[in-house]
Amino acid sequence: MIDKLKEISKDQLLAEVKKYADSKAKFVTGSCNDLGDRLEVTYFFNASPGMDMSALRFTVGKGEEVPSMTGIYLTAVLIENEMKELFGLKVKDLAIDFGGHMMLAQDSPVLPMLKSEDQKAAAQKGGN
Amino acid sequence: MGIIATSRLKSPWIMHFDNSSCNGCDIEVLACLTPLYDIERFGIVNMGNPKHTDVLVVTGPVNRRTARVLKNLYDQIADPKMVIAVGTCSISGGVFHNCYNVLGGVDKVIPVDVYIPGCAARPEAIIDGVVMALQKLAKLQGVAL
Amino acid sequence: MAPRTITPFGPQHPVLPEPIQLKLTLEDEKVVDVMPAIGYGHRGIEKACELNEYPKNIYLCERICGICSCIHGITYCEVVESLWPMDIPPRAKYLRTIFSEMSRTHSHLLWLGLLADAFGFESMFMQYWRIREKVLDLLELTAGHRVTQSVSIIGGVRRDIDADMKKHCIEVLKDVRKEVEALSNVLVNDYTVKARTIGKGVLSYDQAIALGCCGPHLRASGVKEDCRMQGYLAYGDLSFEPVVASGGDSYSRAAVRIGETIQAIDLQLEALGKMPEGEIAAKVKGNPPANEATMRVEQPRGEVFYYAKGNGTRNLERLRVRTPTYANIPSLLVMLPGCEMADVPIIVLSIDPCISCTER
Ligand code: SF4
Repeated sequence: MIDKLKEISKDQLLAEVKKYADSKAKFVTGSCNDLGDRLEVTYFFNASPGMDMSALRFTVGKGEEVPSMTGIYLTAVLIENEMKELFGLKVKDLAIDFGGHMMLAQDSPVLPMLKSEDQKAAAQKGGN
Repeated sequence: MGIIATSRLKSPWIMHFDNSSCNGCDIEVLACLTPLYDIERFGIVNMGNPKHTDVLVVTGPVNRRTARVLKNLYDQIADPKMVIAVGTCSISGGVFHNCYNVLGGVDKVIPVDVYIPGCAARPEAIIDGVVMALQKLAKLQGVAL
Repeated sequence: MAPRTITPFGPQHPVLPEPIQLKLTLEDEKVVDVMPAIGYGHRGIEKACELNEYPKNIYLCERICGICSCIHGITYCEVVESLWPMDIPPRAKYLRTIFSEMSRTHSHLLWLGLLADAFGFESMFMQYWRIREKVLDLLELTAGHRVTQSVSIIGGVRRDIDADMKKHCIEVLKDVRKEVEALSNVLVNDYTVKARTIGKGVLSYDQAIALGCCGPHLRASGVKEDCRMQGYLAYGDLSFEPVVASGGDSYSRAAVRIGETIQAIDLQLEALGKMPEGEIAAKVKGNPPANEATMRVEQPRGEVFYYAKGNGTRNLERLRVRTPTYANIPSLLVMLPGCEMADVPIIVLSIDPCISCTER
């Protein structure tokens, strides 16, 4: 369980992030997860100075466009590029776009972080 | 041969290349150069330029981006040259064997002369490996070490 | 306007043991723009962590970075333990604290050496690394290996520190503390060092927060923020106070790291003294339930953030690792423009970049 997790929709994202920016919170990081037909995105923020962390979460269908928060927090540029590259999350209006080759080389697998069929089957079976 | 061959053995210049290692072996290679292990007593000098190099020391598994860089560096080194693979992951991929961006050991891309196992390889083992490479070089050139 | 040239810095550069490339736009000798290009060290560890079983991931996580490896392993264990959540014995907590601080000491000494090397002070580089060997010997004695210890397991630790080792550790640590103090006195008071580092790569308080920096880099800009303030492991029982400096430049960053090296030694001495008797590992049964957890731990380079999601099977559903350098790289975009080409190596080094961490 994650403390202080707020579920939002992707349209609320920029307004919520703006609130954090106004209160001078620090952007910690984001995380993406493959839920099958949807992607789940979680962003973590820290109320600086201090150690108080809270999070925003939304899910989108694969192929849906997501607004970029790099206009508010430039530092999110790395994680947004990474999610775009490894999960295929369609982030639009990135401040710096590495064009899908920030981490991956030309001949690397495509969207490697999505769950493979084997993984899905193992999760379905559960237990040991 | 004569003096050139002998000098090459008495003062080999090495170049260190980091593929996509975890740094564990890199800091051990660096530690070899510092006072406690002091690899310079074999006349070994660390170089940053492939054209000056006799021995290429490679750490880390080859990944899809560094494969080309490594091949390129290797081709630039003048003959005779030795390649030393330091650490388990540069031998076979090691712990990274099932990572999607990793191709495997260094020998997938360039020929390797000496393999130094260990994760991380100990400085003693690295020094031993370098000396082994020198022995091989001596045999190749037909001179005594 | 002088003509502009674009110069690549790296991926092979003598001050950087690791591959990273910075594309610098120069106007004569002045840097006007910078663009980092990373990805040389990308392996795909996060994915491999989903494919391996829980205990095997300890070894993989430790090899995200070989310099802070011990703390990566500890953080992974902590985050998996909080999926249940389960408690570990108090002695194990103290042991993890001691191992963490030992690896912090060695990592900071390594960095101080590299810094000295970056401005051509080679004998000081050698001196710092000579001292560092003593700490590595202690790590080998107590945790079992010089760099990648794999000492932490889910539920506790693998090795104990007995009375003899403890006595030896205390002796050596006191000795190391004296040597570090003497050597660092030279570093902070030397005229050349000051000339090369003061006012180089300045980052203000607000900028540091806006860019999401962490660790000594953040604290050098005056922000009092350190994950150890949360009191995880045994830090709650120890007298811990973050080391802060206010200059925001490369000199302050060096000063913070020197302060932290000394503090890390003090924390080890204190923890060795206070360590309770008892078990060193709890029994673990079965797989963690379907749950999510986060863990934030202070590494030598800053805050490492782990997010784990279990699904009740023997594999993790998702593991996300945000390493300190990942947070600190964007600050280069602000610090480098305006500086001179010759200062680039020192400024880049001042964030203590660890590339294999960043790219996993
Ligand atoms: S052999 Fe082990 S310690 Fe060395 S670089 Fe590879 S993973 Fe790291």
